[in-house]
Amino acid sequence: MEKILDKKRIDDWIAALDNWDIQGPVLEDDIWSYQPVSGAVRLDHPNTKQSPKGLAFPQREIFFKFEQIKGEAPRLTQVVPDEQRHAVFGVRPCDGRGVPRMDLVFNDHVEDNYYQARRKNVAYVGLACNKPPSANCFCLSVGGSPVSTDGLDVQMTDLGDRYFVKAITETGKGLMAAAGKLFAEPSAADQKQVKQVHAEAVAYPQRAVRNVEEVPAKLKASFKSPLWQELAQACIGCGICTFLCPTCHCFDINDEVQSKAPLKGIRVRTWDNCQFPDFTMHSSGHNPRENTGARLRQRVAHKFQYFPENFGMPQCTGCGRCISECPVGIDIINVVNKVAENAA
Amino acid sequence: MPHNIYLPELARIAYIKDEVYGERAIKTFRVEPVDGELFEHACGQCAMLSIFGRGESMISIASSPLIREYKQFSIMRVGRVSSAFHDLAVGDVIGLRGPYGNSFPIDDWRGKNLYLIGGGCGLAPIWPVITTAVAQRANFKNITVFYGGRTSRDIMYRAELEKLRESIDVHLSIDKAEEGWDGYCGFVPAAVMDKDPVPDNAIAITCGPPIMIKFVIQNLNKLGFKDEQIYTTIENKMKCGLGKCGRCNVGKDYVCVKGPVYSWEELKSLPEEY
Repeated sequence: MEKILDKKRIDDWIAALDNWDIQGPVLEDDIWSYQPVSGAVRLDHPNTKQSPKGLAFPQREIFFKFEQIKGEAPRLTQVVPDEQRHAVFGVRPCDGRGVPRMDLVFNDHVEDNYYQARRKNVAYVGLACNKPPSANCFCLSVGGSPVSTDGLDVQMTDLGDRYFVKAITETGKGLMAAAGKLFAEPSAADQKQVKQVHAEAVAYPQRAVRNVEEVPAKLKASFKSPLWQELAQACIGCGICTFLCPTCHCFDINDEVQSKAPLKGIRVRTWDNCQFPDFTMHSSGHNPRENTGARLRQRVAHKFQYFPENFGMPQCTGCGRCISECPVGIDIINVVNKVAENAA
Repeated sequence: MPHNIYLPELARIAYIKDEVYGERAIKTFRVEPVDGELFEHACGQCAMLSIFGRGESMISIASSPLIREYKQFSIMRVGRVSSAFHDLAVGDVIGLRGPYGNSFPIDDWRGKNLYLIGGGCGLAPIWPVITTAVAQRANFKNITVFYGGRTSRDIMYRAELEKLRESIDVHLSIDKAEEGWDGYCGFVPAAVMDKDPVPDNAIAITCGPPIMIKFVIQNLNKLGFKDEQIYTTIENKMKCGLGKCGRCNVGKDYVCVKGPVYSWEELKSLPEEY
């Protein structure tokens, strides 16, 4: 399903999606973030500071409540995600490609019921990048594209005063059908223009991870390379790289106690971070990844070696956030290229 | 919502035994279901144990899968959850989810000689293999256990080991000589060499402190054991047990799913990150 939507009518489309919570990019204190929008939605964002991964994988997920009166057995009450549907507008192609990668992690081996319960209620309405929005974009070199539709339910392309809107999934068709009257059939000129815009977007020069297919073998051969520690020397272990990443999925599970007698509390999943020293530290004090070099290697090798070995694709989608936001200038493109170049 | 993979079942502590006292105290717990039955497991698998308000900890199941009435865990007092376990009493209710991980392929070992080599707390993960093999004694040829503690007071399962001498060879060792000790004095790798195990038609399984495992394997290799005849387990910090939380991986494999049991041949092919 391919349609044309007058830019002025996008708010009417959103208004027609009654049962959906609409999330769109909002600029506040110079930071773009996905927030609930009612009425007007702006799609002039470069990319948001955080990816939209939190809609299916929230930073905090309560699994259950526990309660225990002394001398009695504990009582557990499951907490189940609500059934609210979310349509997130303005998702850039790199973040769209993050979605199937998260799906792979949470569906592999056993299905994560919390992730699934949320994921099935999220629709991703993408916005193609007419040109890469950041100097650190590198989607093309990791198998993506500024006009990729992977992981999206709908792809919108900005054609100046109107959007070219394409349904990718059945969910996407449903979103468009909910406001059928607003959309017009694309003319031959529209079709020609969207092809032109996409071709220009793809031709736009980007930074690049070199020869990504050869990287897994090269990283494997570089496990003991001294380069890891050299490249990680400046790392302060803040973890912003993973929190902003559209595909980082590591988490912690902890009990939060609200009352000691009677015992009351919750078991909570929270985002965790492979750059934190205690992420892998055993209770004995032994730490298999005892320095920043080993931890940088884990993050980079997970994305460019282990994930490709397990799932046949890099886990990185080239959004560039970890490069742009790293407070000490660690640059994953340089790290991968340098280690691969120096591989034995 | 479908089955909640993070929701533990409740289990009641039916038995507690002090195995080792002191700073590195070990206690053994047997837990029974509060309702219905506990899950089935295989030798070498682990379970995620909960103390509500403290959290979860992955512990290897130390009882034979043939025992359906209870599951046994031997826990050293080290961290937040394991220390809380040491404060529990019979009748207390904990949470349990699992089983997690792969298992020792003991069905493939029928007709073979088994050497089971443990040190310290490392007797727990191989205890299901020992007790299952003894229960199915006719399926195996010679069964030999080597087990060592730092001192005679660090030997866990002491009474059970003495009883096993009726059906299999048990060699106990302590690091330094003590009055009244009639077993081997010295480290476990040396205790193994002392008895000259023969690699023909044999499987060796070793668990214990990393340094012990390293030298046991070196010695087994010297004796002619091939890498595929040697099995061990590795442990890494775990939170989910389901290959998702991202911390227990060694290279591309999550230990909670692909491990904890590895042949030395397999383990050698993985990066040294455990």
